[in-house]
Amino acid sequence: MTFWTYRRRDNLVGYLFVAPALLGSLAFVLFPLAMVAWYSLNEWNVLGGTFEFIGGENYARLLADEKLRDSLVATAWFAAGLVVLNLSLALLLAVLLNQKLRGTTLFRTLFFSPVLVSLVAWTLVWQLMLQPEGSVNGLLGVFGIDGPNWLRGETTAMVSVVVVQVIKNVGLNMVLFLAALQGVPAPLYEAAKIDGAGPWTRFRRITIPLISPTILLTSIITIVGSLQVFAQIAVLTQGGPGTSTTVLIYYLYQQAFQFHHFGYGATISVLLFVIVAALTLLQWRMRRKWVLHES
Amino acid sequence: MSRLLALICTALLALTACSGSAATGPKSLRMTVWTANEAHLKLLNEIAAEYRAAHPDVTEIKFDTIPADGYTTTLTTQIAGGNAPDLAWILEESAPDFVSSGALAPIRAKVEKADELVPSAIKLWEKDGELYAYPFSTSPFGLFVNTDLVKELPKTWEQAVAASAGKNLVLPDFKYQNWAVLSAIWRGWGAQAWSEDGRQCGFASPEMKDAMTFVHKAIFTDKAIPGPGTTVDFFAGNAAMAVSQISRAGALKEAKFGWTLLPLPQGPKGDYAVIGQAGVGVLKRSKNAEAAADFLGFFTNAANSAKLAQFFPPVRQSLLNAGTLAKSNPLLKPEQLQSVVIDGISKGVVKPSHQGQEELNQTIRAALDPLWKPDADIGQVLDGVCTKIKPLLERQ
Amino acid sequence: MSRKVWLYGLLCLLCVPFVFPTWWMVTSSMKPISEIFSESLLPSEWTFSTYETVFRMQPFGQQYWNSLYIAVIVTAGTMAVAALAGYAFARIRFPGQNVLFVVVLTGLLIPSEVTIVPLFQMFQSFGMTNTHWPLIIVPIFGAPCVLAIFIMRQFFIALPPELEEAARMDGLGRAGIFYRIALPLSRPALGAVAIFTFLHSWNLYLEPIVYLSTPDMFTLPQALTQFVDIYGGPMWNVQLAAATMTAVPILVVFVLAQRQFIEGLAHTGVKG
Repeated sequence: MTFWTYRRRDNLVGYLFVAPALLGSLAFVLFPLAMVAWYSLNEWNVLGGTFEFIGGENYARLLADEKLRDSLVATAWFAAGLVVLNLSLALLLAVLLNQKLRGTTLFRTLFFSPVLVSLVAWTLVWQLMLQPEGSVNGLLGVFGIDGPNWLRGETTAMVSVVVVQVIKNVGLNMVLFLAALQGVPAPLYEAAKIDGAGPWTRFRRITIPLISPTILLTSIITIVGSLQVFAQIAVLTQGGPGTSTTVLIYYLYQQAFQFHHFGYGATISVLLFVIVAALTLLQWRMRRKWVLHES
Repeated sequence: MSRLLALICTALLALTACSGSAATGPKSLRMTVWTANEAHLKLLNEIAAEYRAAHPDVTEIKFDTIPADGYTTTLTTQIAGGNAPDLAWILEESAPDFVSSGALAPIRAKVEKADELVPSAIKLWEKDGELYAYPFSTSPFGLFVNTDLVKELPKTWEQAVAASAGKNLVLPDFKYQNWAVLSAIWRGWGAQAWSEDGRQCGFASPEMKDAMTFVHKAIFTDKAIPGPGTTVDFFAGNAAMAVSQISRAGALKEAKFGWTLLPLPQGPKGDYAVIGQAGVGVLKRSKNAEAAADFLGFFTNAANSAKLAQFFPPVRQSLLNAGTLAKSNPLLKPEQLQSVVIDGISKGVVKPSHQGQEELNQTIRAALDPLWKPDADIGQVLDGVCTKIKPLLERQ
Repeated sequence: MSRKVWLYGLLCLLCVPFVFPTWWMVTSSMKPISEIFSESLLPSEWTFSTYETVFRMQPFGQQYWNSLYIAVIVTAGTMAVAALAGYAFARIRFPGQNVLFVVVLTGLLIPSEVTIVPLFQMFQSFGMTNTHWPLIIVPIFGAPCVLAIFIMRQFFIALPPELEEAARMDGLGRAGIFYRIALPLSRPALGAVAIFTFLHSWNLYLEPIVYLSTPDMFTLPQALTQFVDIYGGPMWNVQLAAATMTAVPILVVFVLAQRQFIEGLAHTGVKG
């Protein structure tokens, strides 16, 4: 077999292998997305059954929409808080569980367990726990702290939805980090110890670079995921108080499904897509700078 | 390939909103409902079976339960996706949108003895003298009192709040979000969310300010209404009083405490009543709109309304007497049925609703949020509500 | 020694917010309804009637089966599609590769709320509403599969090239290399994909509500919303009993399988 026939066959196999995923993407992702882009150029009254081409009007409205600006600010806070808290907590838990200690399996399971609980039950419990006289403030009271009315203050509501979401899902990232940590060769640490590096230096100089591919993966998943958190906000705060937790996806839902402005909802969808795509592209571009194996 | 073509065609059809053409031959009907309760569904299916027995061309009548949470969202998605049901239950707050958009088919001609429907109760479902949905459930608000906790029954709001100070007067559906529930209180002050024609904001009126000051005081000073974020369940016996729709009385069947039901207390403006409603309409886009409307006529005729009355208070004058209602509401005494249900339905004002209700809902909800703090400037917050909703009210 | 005490203390403290909600869910499902909103840790009297109610009110067994078989098919299908695509994107060089990868990656970026209306139109025109097809096909081939492809690509990229070279020398073609060499090695990554995918399908909420309309077609998350009293108020204790039954078996399976899962991952990591 010559190199070139191998090459050509390789091409064919490559196309065959990606074909199912590719066709699926075309049919179930790109086609619907194109439809959404088309809706955004129209005024669509679902109830009345009217569908009318209005060109860029929805986009003009987007630029002038003050509520949208509030929503973008809320989204930025929510996403930033969620990503930072999720990744640092996941890493902390993974490091703790990576110690030579009896019973880590048990703790690992406990930290992972919220991932398995239904969202409905999860948010309901937290709603009760965050009541002014709920368990959270009861616990704070033990330490002499007079806890706030969590879901009714603008800042505390935002903090609450972030924390509730992080605790629900941090287990997934924790498991990924744990797997990565266990892949770091122990001799590297020994060598560093001999060179007199303290624990913090070892963590920063050895652990972080070696698990950087996992950090990339988890941060992409988490950022993208943070912009898609919907149900928790719908149950816990309904975007309030005021509009303090009305993140973009919730605003989109309100416009399209609650207010029946489908065309405008589609326009916000396009904006959301552009934001997510830009963020992901940015991370992907920067990966060569700090991620091992990718340069 | 032909499938792809079919898909594109259907997509285009859906976009241009193909209006249904009458289908002939065997028909099957689909009605979306938000109840998943077995007793409800059993009754609905019995009525449907009876209808089918007389109409062999209707092969199937199906009741699809969509969860009450997000009911309208899911219904709208189905309509947008080209799968509109033939009939649909409609929440009172979406009534103006559905009625005015032209999504519903006229049904007055199909309704048995349409003249005997209580006029104030069908106003919401009418446009230009035509009826677009039948209000199958019309439920007045009343005051439930836990007689183990309260000995002296209140006649006025002042007394109600005084008697339940520290013992909880709950508004189960309010949750500091569904502000429209508060109309059950502020009507007593003569306040309203907006004017009759829906163009003038009523939140900044002196009546509203007085009423809201009263509510605010009841929450933060008198500690009668539980504060924001606190869940207290009247039906489990944890509260002195509850302002709720009378259809909730059934939840007290196994109550382990003494209770009674009173009409809403008097406000400064005297007696009044407030009702909540749900309607059922025929979607114009249904292929079987004609048959669906015919079934709706049967579903809501006097005999079936009487059956439905055990769950859903009726709007037919012939059924609105204590004797008839007592048969289906064994938990309530005749005088309660008279004072709360019958009087309530006949003279009641429906909870506020408006075209674009959901957008108004969310805007008002957000604008009212600053009110639910002990040191709120009530006048300023209410003026703020009007500033926010003015453009929405003027849009129609 | 004191370091260990500190570590245990820290772990126990951190555990509380993770464990308490589940504890509450399980115990409250056995409380009488009047106690649900009280702060007590244990029911004053234990009742299991809620569990019977679950089965009486809904075809819960059927719904359990629906969720289970859908999740299993989706998991198997996703593993196959993702392994093939992930391998090709990582190890095979073919023209247009990067563009195609970006095309596929788009799916990762779109929340399901955005595309639900066009997708619903599509399945409606195929006559597939109120069937389980949309819940099977879209996750296997559409957006939810992309994360799996991404994980598999990250795994295969870190695979030492020498293994494949040797196999090629022995005369194995691409398909053979993939099937005989790469796939067996990718077990741990496939395990991760399996868990992610299964949970995603198991907890899917928006799609079933939009697509399915009859109770015997419902999936579990959707069924949870159906336990309401005559006035539409949620029956919390029954809902929690149903929620407990959906979560606990999965938890048990996870406990049993986690050793393979996590230790398997560790050998390769999702290394990048």
